[in-house]
Amino acid sequence: MQNEQEFSKAEKFWMNFKLYQLWRFIILNIKVYTIAVQSKWR
Amino acid sequence: MAKVLVIGAGFSGHTAALYLGDKIGRQHEITVISNRDVFGYVPSWVWVGVGHMKPEKTIFKLKPVYDRKNIKFVHAAAKEIHPDAGDQYVLGEEIGTGKEIRLNYDYLVIAPGPLLNFAGTPGLGPEQGFTHSICSMPHAIKARDAYLALCDRMKKGEKVKIVIGTGHPGATCQGAAFEYIVNVHKDLVKKGLRDKADILWLSNEPALGDFGVNGVQIKRNGHVLKSDEFIKAVFNDHGIRYQVQTGVTKVEEGKIHWQNYEGEEGTADFDFSMLIPQFKGQPFKYIGKDGSDISTKLVNPAGFVLVDGKYGLPYPELAQTPSAWPAQYQNPNYTNVFAAGIAFAPPGPISKPFTNKNNLAIAPAPPRTGMVSGVIGRVVAMNIIDLIKTGKMTHSERMTEMVAACVASMGDSLWDGNAVTIVMRPVVPDREKYKNEYGRDLFISHLEMGVSGAWMKFMLHYTFIWKFKALLGWKLIPE
Ligand SMILES: Cc1cc2nc3c(=O)[nH]c(=O)nc-3n(C[C@H](O)[C@H](O)[C@H](O)COP(=O)(O)OP(=O)(O)OC[C@H]3O[C@@H](n4cnc5c(N)ncnc54)[C@H](O)[C@@H]3O)c2cc1C
Repeated sequence: MQNEQEFSKAEKFWMNFKLYQLWRFIILNIKVYTIAVQSKWR
Repeated sequence: MAKVLVIGAGFSGHTAALYLGDKIGRQHEITVISNRDVFGYVPSWVWVGVGHMKPEKTIFKLKPVYDRKNIKFVHAAAKEIHPDAGDQYVLGEEIGTGKEIRLNYDYLVIAPGPLLNFAGTPGLGPEQGFTHSICSMPHAIKARDAYLALCDRMKKGEKVKIVIGTGHPGATCQGAAFEYIVNVHKDLVKKGLRDKADILWLSNEPALGDFGVNGVQIKRNGHVLKSDEFIKAVFNDHGIRYQVQTGVTKVEEGKIHWQNYEGEEGTADFDFSMLIPQFKGQPFKYIGKDGSDISTKLVNPAGFVLVDGKYGLPYPELAQTPSAWPAQYQNPNYTNVFAAGIAFAPPGPISKPFTNKNNLAIAPAPPRTGMVSGVIGRVVAMNIIDLIKTGKMTHSERMTEMVAACVASMGDSLWDGNAVTIVMRPVVPDREKYKNEYGRDLFISHLEMGVSGAWMKFMLHYTFIWKFKALLGWKLIPE
């Protein structure tokens, strides 16, 4: 999605493609954990 | 021995209590007073509201957790706060017996969440009005029953109108309403009933995807992608109609009255509606030594506790002043009184406020989400521990420094569920630190839709219930 107001067919494919989503899940977890845990040391 | 008293056992109060109990519970007296004897994992009430999760799965008893963590539990509703030096105590009413309870303290944490102000909009709410809410567990159960009854009507072929969003021009918590509307959509698709429902998003946000935080912006392939385009795409994809810049002013049976930015007045018809009410602070009495009302020293007119923020700045100045946001959540007049979670008074809105020609302010209040509330609970607890041990606070975190991660699920299936995952840093833009027009870290901020979000949402439910039960390794899980 780049400024249009609809998801393309390709984007919808990736949203449901489980292997890619597993990769995103791992990335997202690492991202959220690393930034959220920084807060603990304040 | 110091006495620390926490009012409320939700995201912020319970978090504060766990840290206090864990670190100093053996040497000092930590007490929690809560009007409910269970912890409620609020985000999953969205699923309760569509009948996808049993209410019991979102709660657990507090006392067994507190017994393990050296915390005293009092099942009572706090009513009065007497903060003057010499004799500082809270008066409460024991649930079940109505007996008056007096709890003395040296340090007080006020964390009772919001008063759901349905009275602020005539005809709003599940008790006195015509709309539903998912902001408490009984409300979510009532919303579920009404929604399932509506589905039965649709199964018989009836076409219905559903309106979901905010029920007051100054409401907050748009994220929860957004999650509910997409869950309703997904559930109707699964039931084969989607063509029987006209679904409308009605909200006080300045733009779609604003969520009361001035929207979310991320950098993708060299472009800045904004949440209004993203959420527009989601709604277009789902066939959900939307109307923003709208304040609900009154509800009648089957009819919502609104005004918009242009000052136009109109109505939206509904068969089922879930609208988030305005939030206010809990209506405690603040009483001085001489029996006088001293509430102006402790709370703002909406009942939120005044802390170490800079209040009264006009919006354009506030938007450029990250240091106006509180760092330690300590009341300036009573330095042993702290507020955590929704209870503290923010210095102003995050989204741009608007007043229409009829003098109606249509302005989302700043959300204090679960993560924000948990972080504040921890900061407050650590500072109280500091004060008890060394007399000097060493912890601080402003909302202009905090990260928020929200996962708005669309259906709960791990196979074909979906979710929008939103990460933003910071929650309140800091235009001094991040030199872009949004005041945010566009690399860390994240906006994505996919089935991985549904996995994330499930994981968060079980991980956070684990954490809030203070089970093995709970402190390793961020707030
Ligand atoms: C449907 C819904 C979905 C949400 N989803 C998300 C999400 O996905 N992610 C996210 O980050 N945030 C989410 N939120 C927001 C989040 O739930 C709140 O930010 C959070 O619960 C606020 O924490 P709190 O401690 O201030 O209040 P609460 O969690 O509401 O806790 C307040 C506690 O105080 C108790 N109390 C009230 N009055 C008294 C009294 N007089 N005496 C004693 N005790 C009292 C209450 O019973 C309650 O236990 C959602 C909110 C809703 C409504």
